[in-house]
Amino acid sequence: MAAATSTLHRVAAKPFYFNTAAYLLRITRQKAATLAELLEALRECPEESIFQHTFRTLQEHHFIRQGFSNDFAQWALSSCKEPGLGERLSAVDVREFTSVAELRATFMRIVGDFLQANPAAGKRSAQEVFYFCASDTVVIPTSFVAETMQDFAMGVRSVSVHSIHHHFIEARLRLKLMSNDFSQWLHEDMGLTDTARALNQIDIYTGTLEDVRRHIVRIVERALTAGGN
Amino acid sequence: MKPAKGISRDSAQATTKTPDPPRVAPVRVAPPERRRSPRAWETPPAPVPPPPLDNYQSIVGAAEIDELRFLARELKGKTVKMINSTAVGGGVAEMLNRLVPLLSELEVITHWDVITGGNDFFEVTKAFHNALHGSAYELTRQAQEIFLVANEQNRQRMQFNEDVIVVHDPQPAALIRARAGTSARWVWRCHIDLSNPHPQVWGFLRPFVEQFDAAVFSSQSFARQLPIPQYLFYPCIDPLSEKNKDLDDSFVQKVCDEFGVDRKRPIITQVSRFDRLKDPVGVVQAFKLARKYTDCQLVLAGGGASDDPEGAIVLNEVKEAAGADPDIIILDLPPWCALEINALQRASTLVVQKSIKEGFGLTVTEALWKGKPTIAGAVGGIPNQIIHKLTGALVHSVEGCAYQIRYLLTHPEFADQLGKNGHEHVKENFLMTTNVRRWLLLFRILLAGVR
Repeated sequence: MAAATSTLHRVAAKPFYFNTAAYLLRITRQKAATLAELLEALRECPEESIFQHTFRTLQEHHFIRQGFSNDFAQWALSSCKEPGLGERLSAVDVREFTSVAELRATFMRIVGDFLQANPAAGKRSAQEVFYFCASDTVVIPTSFVAETMQDFAMGVRSVSVHSIHHHFIEARLRLKLMSNDFSQWLHEDMGLTDTARALNQIDIYTGTLEDVRRHIVRIVERALTAGGN
Repeated sequence: MKPAKGISRDSAQATTKTPDPPRVAPVRVAPPERRRSPRAWETPPAPVPPPPLDNYQSIVGAAEIDELRFLARELKGKTVKMINSTAVGGGVAEMLNRLVPLLSELEVITHWDVITGGNDFFEVTKAFHNALHGSAYELTRQAQEIFLVANEQNRQRMQFNEDVIVVHDPQPAALIRARAGTSARWVWRCHIDLSNPHPQVWGFLRPFVEQFDAAVFSSQSFARQLPIPQYLFYPCIDPLSEKNKDLDDSFVQKVCDEFGVDRKRPIITQVSRFDRLKDPVGVVQAFKLARKYTDCQLVLAGGGASDDPEGAIVLNEVKEAAGADPDIIILDLPPWCALEINALQRASTLVVQKSIKEGFGLTVTEALWKGKPTIAGAVGGIPNQIIHKLTGALVHSVEGCAYQIRYLLTHPEFADQLGKNGHEHVKENFLMTTNVRRWLLLFRILLAGVR
C-alpha cells in the first residue's frame, strides 16, 4: 500500500507534454508496376516515402486488428499475388528500427533476395501500380501535460490515436532508441523502470491503436494500484 | 423554390419524432402492390445551412477539433479564395459549400468566386473534361480561343488580393496569368482523373498548371509529371449532410415501406446513376447468380434517366435484365433525394458498387461510413477505400461479385467486421474534417516564412 501511495504521489522530474502530429501526403515521382520496379523505387525514393508506407500507413489503418502491416507487403500480396513475399514484408516490425535508412535497407534486402530466387516474378505486371507518396509533418501540442501518473493516465485516455502513434510508435525515429516517449519518461523522469519496460513490450501488430491505448492505460493503472517501479 | 411541404427536414434526424413519408416519385417499384402511392416533389427543398465545427465533435472527437483549431491559429488573419465554375450542382460545389464556412469559422477567411462564361465556353470546358478523361477530341484553335478569352474576362473582373488562391479544375486554370500582379500562393485543385488525358488538351493546359505553386489530386494515379509539388487529398463526405447523417429507424422503415423493400430479408443495394460504367446490368446478373443459393432482394437506386438520354437507355436495359423478378427493385430518383438514399443505404445488408470505371467512388465512402459491408469493382479510387478482405471486398467480374454476395450473406460476423473497419477507415481518412485539416496543412506549408 505504501508503494502504491508513493507511485500515486510521485511527481515527475520533468513533465510529459502530450503532442500529436498531422500529415500532408505528397505524391512523389516513383512508381512501380512490377516487383523489379519496386526494388528500384525503394532505392531511389525519399526517406519520407519509406516513412509514409510503413510508420504512417500503420497509423492510417490503425483500426485493423490483424492482417495489415505496411503498404509494400499489402501490394505484394494483393496486387502481385506473391503471398510468400507478402508475409516476409509483413513481418518487418517498425519498432525494431531507429532510422528510416535501416528500414529501407531491410525492405530492399527482402525484395532483392526474393527476386534473386524468383527472377521471373520481377517482370510480371502487378494488378495495380504502386505509387510512392511521402508525408510532410506538423507537430501539434495538445492541452494535456502530465506531472504525475494520474495525469499521465488521464492524458493517454484523452488524446487522439494520432498522439498515441506519435509518442508510442514513431518516437523511436526521433529518440534513435528502441523505446518510445512514454517509456522514456516513465523510466527517466518517474523512475518507474518496470512499467516503462512493460509498455515497450506491447504488441502493436495484433491489435488496433485503441487496443494499444487500452493496454497502456491498464499497465499504468496497475502501477498506480500496485505501486510498481 | 418550393419547400418540401409536409416534410420537416428534421424529421429524419435520429430523434423520437414521427417522420413524414418520403417525398420522391420512384419510376418503378416492384411489386407495385406492396407500395403505397408515393408523394411526388417536383422541385428540390431549400438547402440546409452548413453546420458549425463543434457539431462534428461528437463524431470525430474533441481532440480532432482541437487539432484543427491549433493548425488554424498560425493562419489567423490569412485569406483564401476558392475559384470554381459552378455554385450549385456537382461534387465540387457541394464540397465548397461545407469547406468555405468551416475555414472561415477557423478564422482563415475564405472567399468563394465562381467564374462566368457563355454557352460556348462551357461547351468547350465540357469537351475538355471528357477529353481529359480519355475521350477522343480534336482541339481546335477556336476552342482554345474561347477558353482563353473567357478566362481573361474573368481575370479582369476578379480581384486576387488573398494570400492563397485555389483554382478548382481546368475551367479557370488560365486565371494563373493573374499571378504576376499578386503576392499570393496559387494552388490548382484537380478533381478529375488525369491518368489517361487527351495529349493535345493536356498539352494546352499543362503550361498553365506548371505556373502554380502546387497541385492537388484526388488519387495518386491521377498525378502527372510536373515541376511543382503534387499533393494527395482524398475526396470526402460530410457526416452531417442529409446523405450521411444518422437517421431515425422509423424513417428508414417508412422509406423501405414506400419503395416496397422488405427489411425482414437481406437487402443488396447499389446506388448510382443509370450509367454503363456503373454496370447496373452486371449487378442484376450477379444478384441472380447469388440468389440461387441465398434469399435476398436487390435495390438499384439511381438517377439520370430523366435528364440524360443515355441514362434512359441504360434504365431500360436494366429493366430488361431484371425481367419480372419481384425481388429486384429499381428506383429512378431525382437528385434531391439524399435522405431517401441515406435510408436505403442504412437499410441494406450489403452495398455493391460494381463500377467498371470510377472517379473516387463516393457512394462507396457513404456505404462504408454507414458500416455496411461493401463489395466494389477494383477501379479508380475504390482500392484506396476498400482493402480487400479488411475494409470490404474488391471484385473484377459478375461471378466474383456474386460469390462475395453469397459469402458475406452467409458469414455475417465477417461481414460485420468489414463494415466496422470500413467505418473507421472513412472516419480516419475520408471525412470533411480530414479535408479541412489537409487544407490547413497545405496553407501552412505554402505560407511558411510569408509575413
